[in-house]
Amino acid sequence: MNARQQPPSARHWFEEHTGEVELHLAAPTLKQLFVEAGLGLADLLSDQRRPPDGAPESVEVEAADRDALLVDWMNELIFRTEMRQKVYDEIRINSLSDRRLHADIRGASPDGWRTAVKAATFHRLEIAREGAGYTGRVVLDV
Amino acid sequence: MAYELKQVGEVQYELGRELRPGMHVPARVFADEKLISQIQRDHSLEQLVNVTSLPGITRAALGMPDMHEGYGFPVGGVAGTLAPDGAISPGGIGFDINCGVRLLVSELRYPEAESVVPTLVHELSRSIPTGYGRHGRISLSSADLDRVLSEGCAYLVREHGLGLEEDLERIESRGSLSGADPSRVSDRAKQRGEDQLGTLGGGNHFLELQRVDAVYDEEAARAMRLGLGQVTVLIHTGSRGLGHQVCTDYVREMDKALARYHFSLPDRQLACAPLSSPEGKDYFAAMCAAANFAWSNRQVLTHRIRETFRRQLGPGPASELRVVYDVAHNIAKLEQFGKHTLCVHRKGATRAFGPSSTEIPAAYRGIGQPIFIPGSMGTSSFVLAGTDASKELSLSSTCHGAGRALSRTAAKKQVVGHELRKQLESQGIIVRCPSNAELAEEAPLAYKDVERVVDVVSRAGIAKKVARLVPRGVLKG
Repeated sequence: MNARQQPPSARHWFEEHTGEVELHLAAPTLKQLFVEAGLGLADLLSDQRRPPDGAPESVEVEAADRDALLVDWMNELIFRTEMRQKVYDEIRINSLSDRRLHADIRGASPDGWRTAVKAATFHRLEIAREGAGYTGRVVLDV
Repeated sequence: MAYELKQVGEVQYELGRELRPGMHVPARVFADEKLISQIQRDHSLEQLVNVTSLPGITRAALGMPDMHEGYGFPVGGVAGTLAPDGAISPGGIGFDINCGVRLLVSELRYPEAESVVPTLVHELSRSIPTGYGRHGRISLSSADLDRVLSEGCAYLVREHGLGLEEDLERIESRGSLSGADPSRVSDRAKQRGEDQLGTLGGGNHFLELQRVDAVYDEEAARAMRLGLGQVTVLIHTGSRGLGHQVCTDYVREMDKALARYHFSLPDRQLACAPLSSPEGKDYFAAMCAAANFAWSNRQVLTHRIRETFRRQLGPGPASELRVVYDVAHNIAKLEQFGKHTLCVHRKGATRAFGPSSTEIPAAYRGIGQPIFIPGSMGTSSFVLAGTDASKELSLSSTCHGAGRALSRTAAKKQVVGHELRKQLESQGIIVRCPSNAELAEEAPLAYKDVERVVDVVSRAGIAKKVARLVPRGVLKG
């Protein structure tokens, strides 16, 4: 395998957007890309997090296609965060297809919140195969 | 992409339909040279051009001078689609449905107010929940919540004593859209909203104590009961998690329905359906319900602010806050333009009905509908009045704020939160915001010059200046 074919390490970062937040993702597998999306959201929500507590929550999401699945997955996390006042940063994707996801997630109430996230959007949404891995982009309304 | 805009008026620029296939109407922006150059730095023009592809759009996709990049629509975008079969797009209203502003005015005046404002700000910070995940003191039963969603402010005033009958007259649509149907609002949305009435939220939402600093139009200011030196309170918040979930739910539904209506859009976030379709009708009914929730949220906050003023100042005119007006800036309304009914989407834009409108309070007929343009933190806000000319020029719409010029990250690179706090305090502005980082994100340099924005809408004839308000105390999430 040459350097160009090396799968990217899983990571996320934020790029400039005048009004909202643009989350960028890279990962060797699609499952890890979806995990990274959850971790990016967690970083945005709070930088004063606590170790996860309590039993894992089982999450199932169904969507029209793979891109919509990423949006729905993030919106599911946003809903649970607001309802349970928890930031989820322990994420295990058990199964993933283009239209369905099953995950176990754990989180905890943080000591402080950072950015209130209203929703994930379809705007400039992208999941792409790049080299030996995947990249993604989601704009979040904050 | 750099666009070559054609100047079509003193402060109007246009991109014609020939720019790109699929444009049904031109894209038109109200701005001066400086604002246009700021607007061209992000993707907002591209987003406005995308809006011109909405099925049923008529006249033009309009950008206000505070326009900046959003998602789907730009923030500061306005579009009218022909009812009944034109499209309604949840992304053209936004997640924070009926995010808006309400202005209250007190008989308390400067300089007498100087000594009590710090206490008022402190006490308000104790009684108003701010920030992410803060819950209000009202917990609604399912039946109560449905009545808030269907009846809006009238239910809170008449059955819970949360405000005055006269408040209702001074709220856009009297704080209640009749098209609301709580059964079209999902359980998830209701769960998110059930304990959020009377909360400010985070982000750019705020509550500000201000002083009337300048009056430009005596007659209009008198009608709005605004005089030099008076204390005003500006509330900026919306429908909280309930509205966010309504938008999330219906963007998803409409995205799935696009193929059924043979709609092809340049941006998936513009997902839409004909207003007359089942999806369109359901969304409109849910959006109206969320709008009622947002007006109710500002009504409960008004009640809390009045309680605080009474507690601190005792009974009397100084503590009797009156509602000047309450306007939505993320909403779709059915409005009449000649023989046509249009579904006017306002995303970060304010309705601007003129003096001859019969839909505005009697006190403002002959004056124009009040419009409030908050500046950035530490800068002035403006009170404007709508004009009759705005109907033809801008679908009865105008700007909604200063409009962001820098991303939050860029703002934080240039501003240190605790230094900004000190700087504001040195100007005599009391700031209650727990996070220095959030304070930096909302720093004045992150925004366009509000005076320039207001100057443009005034020169364009789509609103006229009435008064200027300067901040004395700010409460932020």
